[in-house]
Amino acid sequence: MNVQADITPEELERDLTQEDTQRMATETTLLNPRFYTTDFEALDAIDVSPVQEEWDALIAELKSDPNKGHFKKNETWDTPDFDAMEPELKKELMDFLVSSLTAEFSGCVLYKEMKRRGTNEDVKTLFALMARDEARHAGFINDALREADVAVNLGFLTKAKKYTYFKPKFIFYATYLSEKIGYARYITIFRHLEQHPENRIHPIFKWFEEWCNDEFRHGEAFSLLMRADPKLLSGHNKLWIKFFLVAVFSTMYVRDHARPAFHKALGIDIDWYDHEVLKKTSEISKQCFPIELDLEHPRWKKGLVSLRDHMFAAEAAEKRGSGMAKRYHMARAAMVFVSLYTIPSKKNQIPALSRLEPSY
Amino acid sequence: MSLFQKRTEKVPCTVEVSHTFESLHAHVRFDDGSVVHPGDEVLVHGKPVLAGYGEVVIEKREATITRAGAIERAWTRLTGDLEFMELCEFSFSEEVRL
Repeated sequence: MNVQADITPEELERDLTQEDTQRMATETTLLNPRFYTTDFEALDAIDVSPVQEEWDALIAELKSDPNKGHFKKNETWDTPDFDAMEPELKKELMDFLVSSLTAEFSGCVLYKEMKRRGTNEDVKTLFALMARDEARHAGFINDALREADVAVNLGFLTKAKKYTYFKPKFIFYATYLSEKIGYARYITIFRHLEQHPENRIHPIFKWFEEWCNDEFRHGEAFSLLMRADPKLLSGHNKLWIKFFLVAVFSTMYVRDHARPAFHKALGIDIDWYDHEVLKKTSEISKQCFPIELDLEHPRWKKGLVSLRDHMFAAEAAEKRGSGMAKRYHMARAAMVFVSLYTIPSKKNQIPALSRLEPSY
Repeated sequence: MSLFQKRTEKVPCTVEVSHTFESLHAHVRFDDGSVVHPGDEVLVHGKPVLAGYGEVVIEKREATITRAGAIERAWTRLTGDLEFMELCEFSFSEEVRL
């Protein structure tokens, strides 16, 4: 912790004692979101008039707040017996919840910052509405964590934070994909558990059907923001879009394979699930992206498997303190990434209208 | 702005932490309109803002902004984008288990 002159040793001691007591009862997870800054002048210069009609409809829908009453626990919330849960499964389930919480929380911080620093009313309205949803989701997940005796520590505010920088267009590509892939993940899990309710290891999954519509709507907003400025979707930016598609898709693949017990308990075959999610996301992203990855290309699947193996090997090497082996596997992973990136993509003719309805 | 030397500024700020069922969020706002730039570092003074469950805490605090030098600012501008992955729910979380 940083030196803080205005704290007395007695106060510090008292704080520590309280913290220690808390620690005995619960496991504490320190939230550690990043803080962002961007080109706020560029954001202010956004002009949504080329997509005005669709924009107004979407803002009206967000304002009507369809999920306002959704994030409440009711009698169908059946708390699992965490003590009876396999430790490995519990660890992965908690990790799933914590990383979901971190993503919602980071989204909230980013959207709020964009709302606060901007002067463009359209942009400010949108980001305020999306920050509302993200904070609500975070609150809901937090409650689920508390039930499992995992406390979230928000102490990061008084630690030194470095502000990192995102170009607005990269925020758009990344958050668009993150929201749409979030939708595809939640709805795929939900539909699977509809067929296999015996595998529903936690009640939170029952909330996913309406929940994912928030993610879907946020994605719609980013699609419109990008379509309002066609430069972002053409020329050399196509290479950036491809980069984001490959990076986000392959990270998801590697990450999901790091949670075998979680997926096994849900009765989900990770390879099937990831392919399903990526197919859905890819199909949806035709609403704005001029290219589509070729997910059926033989090098795609092979590359993902190889990337995963090298990432896991690098992590194992780090754990046993072998810097050399770690660097070797990271270099190989980077080569695999390049190989994935160079798979020819498919051209897509962007449709006249952006708006999609969640249909999976 | 110098190349390497770091300047610091003390500014008043308002922190808001909501730790409720309805909303989990935490924000810092600079009361004098100060603006942070890429690579700047912000430290809010005082004890950790502890909002117990069900509480919303809004406090006036003082913060130190350590301005990044020109090189660090340029570097952050160039490389910050690579950290976008954190926004994805399935990304490699950096959570520290205490």
